[in-house]
Amino acid sequence: MSDKTINISDVVNLPLDLKEQKKALEQKSPAVVEGKVKVYDPNKDNVKNLLEMLKNKLSRQTVSSLVGCVHCGMCSESCHYALARPHDPTMTPAYKADQIRQIFKRYIDWTGRIFPWWVHAKTPKNDEDLNRLKNIVFGTCSGCRRCTLNCPMGVDTAVLVRLTRGLLTELGIVPEGVFVVDKDSWETGNQMGVSQEDYIETLEWQEEEVQAELDDPSFKIPIDKEDCDFMYTVNPREIKYDPRSIAYACKVFHMAGESWTMPSFGWDQTNFGLFSGDDKLGGYIAKNLYEAAKRLRAKRIVISECGHGYRSSRWEGYNWAKYKQDIPSESVLITLIRYINQGLIKVDPSRNPLSITYHDSCNLARSGDLTEEPRWILERICTDFREMYPNRSDNFCCTGGGGALSMVEYKPLRIEVAKVKADQLKATGAKLVCTSCHNCVDGLSDLIKHYKLDMQVVQILDLVAEALVIPEKNEKK
Amino acid sequence: MSEFLRILEDEVQIVALAFMATVYTIRLIWMFRFKAGKEITKPVGSPRVGVAYSMMNVAMPWAMESARKNLSFYVQFVIFHLGVLMAITATLILPYWPEFFESEPIVRIFQLFMGAAFAVGLIRLIRRITSPVMRLISTPDDYFSVALLTAWFAAGVFAMPNQYEVSEWPLILFFGMTTLFLIYVPFSKISHYLYYPFTRYFLGKTMGHRGVFPRKKGGEKPAGLE
Repeated sequence: MSDKTINISDVVNLPLDLKEQKKALEQKSPAVVEGKVKVYDPNKDNVKNLLEMLKNKLSRQTVSSLVGCVHCGMCSESCHYALARPHDPTMTPAYKADQIRQIFKRYIDWTGRIFPWWVHAKTPKNDEDLNRLKNIVFGTCSGCRRCTLNCPMGVDTAVLVRLTRGLLTELGIVPEGVFVVDKDSWETGNQMGVSQEDYIETLEWQEEEVQAELDDPSFKIPIDKEDCDFMYTVNPREIKYDPRSIAYACKVFHMAGESWTMPSFGWDQTNFGLFSGDDKLGGYIAKNLYEAAKRLRAKRIVISECGHGYRSSRWEGYNWAKYKQDIPSESVLITLIRYINQGLIKVDPSRNPLSITYHDSCNLARSGDLTEEPRWILERICTDFREMYPNRSDNFCCTGGGGALSMVEYKPLRIEVAKVKADQLKATGAKLVCTSCHNCVDGLSDLIKHYKLDMQVVQILDLVAEALVIPEKNEKK
Repeated sequence: MSEFLRILEDEVQIVALAFMATVYTIRLIWMFRFKAGKEITKPVGSPRVGVAYSMMNVAMPWAMESARKNLSFYVQFVIFHLGVLMAITATLILPYWPEFFESEPIVRIFQLFMGAAFAVGLIRLIRRITSPVMRLISTPDDYFSVALLTAWFAAGVFAMPNQYEVSEWPLILFFGMTTLFLIYVPFSKISHYLYYPFTRYFLGKTMGHRGVFPRKKGGEKPAGLE
């Protein structure tokens, strides 16, 4: 562990890396050729284009947040970047939001157009300024919305950061990781570029695992089955790195006697459009999901454990896609509560004897509605649950939010500011930190490793699977 | 009372107020010309309750960590804004109901609030100048607005006895500043009170719809138990 702090100018002056963009152009990547993913063009008047797009993208909500800030500075005490770097005033959320606010003031607002110096209104001069803006909005904010909920005026800084990210994405002025994930999302329908073959094979593999565990060859993971009670959607990370979480969920559904299915396409409940600020991509991915449910005539959509996936699929996606919500959608947490409450599955808390604390994902607690649900389940599946402070909508980000995990160039800063979260975790004294978000699993794992905490990360489904009481006839002999 | 002071207290204020109201009206029309974001999902909570909660946030220091952890800052905020309220009230009462300020206790109450607000204004100004965070985010308008208000409170303290027969200068200063204030405010950050209902409404509506507002403290019934 090092106490060295990052020199912030090293972060905000990081050059625009175009290797992946060039590669995509050479390979005639369909998403690039069709103009779905934008590549940077130095010959274009990018500043002018950004200003034009800003005008068109503004809504009453964003304008009220742009004009409403009184620069009281209260947000500096709510942001983990600012708290971890008290010597660095550029970490203040109001400063980050001011990067777009000053453009708005110079180009659109009154006073700034007439007396720009009086309100610090200015437009970017060139692409270098836009690159600097990119590094601020992508590299120094995880969009956790903690400042939003702590702003006396109700200014939604996270929305302003996302708005700015969206404008830069349209110009191809984005971190490499964002470009790659956006491209993969458009081309494969999921953010990790998982092929349909890999997806199906992984499900079949997990099906065999559960069959072996339950000693029940009749167990199936139903794919594209019509007229089920619900369609289960997952995070591509589960397919690629954590397939056991799918097996756990499937086992629970099976034990509960559920009628359910998984779609062969439209299964990705995550949505990188939330992070890149690209509403078109957000709408495309979300619509795939909703259309899959409609195609299969599912009565519900159940979203696996993922903070931004839940926020995108349950809330933002319908708005991005302008898609009427005719099929209800819910987090798998609610499905689990129903099973436990109705006695459809039996759980034994003594099977999870280690001390467990719960980390609220920002997107579940501050931009969703799920704070009591995970706790209700935890109280029934473990014996030593202890709260983390602050918690619920006051909780600190895992520091991997906002797509930060895909932007490796900002990792040193991310890990430095993770000290706030590390201290919070350490204070619980728990052996396990449970979360309900795959992104948080990776964010927390990174900081646990760096700060050498004696702790492991688990998810609710891991613990439910552990506590699940399987009737004897199903137990493997 | 001289004719100059009478006109300054009455007609000039009315013209300045009308100017401010006109600019505000144009400002609101400008803001409403931007498209409205639409929420088309099925709600979990109530947008109305969310809006009410969001609007009342200012009076619930316990509901927001930034206020909860900085109670002295919150108290300063309350004093400062009560000072504004008292000063505005005084500009409306002095010209049309001067007898009201013949009561010494009333004069003292107004002076107390404005004096306290003046002190808070100074503290805020010092904070803005000395804190690196505040310096970085502050614009000339931020400094000028706080300085203007602070000076206005000081002028108010001296004007409250309304003893124009002794000297008109405190009143001329107070109403002169009020005029400047009314004309400047719509272009400055002081007009945040105009935006407050909107920012809080939009945030409250979204968060109420999603069930995030009112914020949960524990013990609420989870979904799925129906």
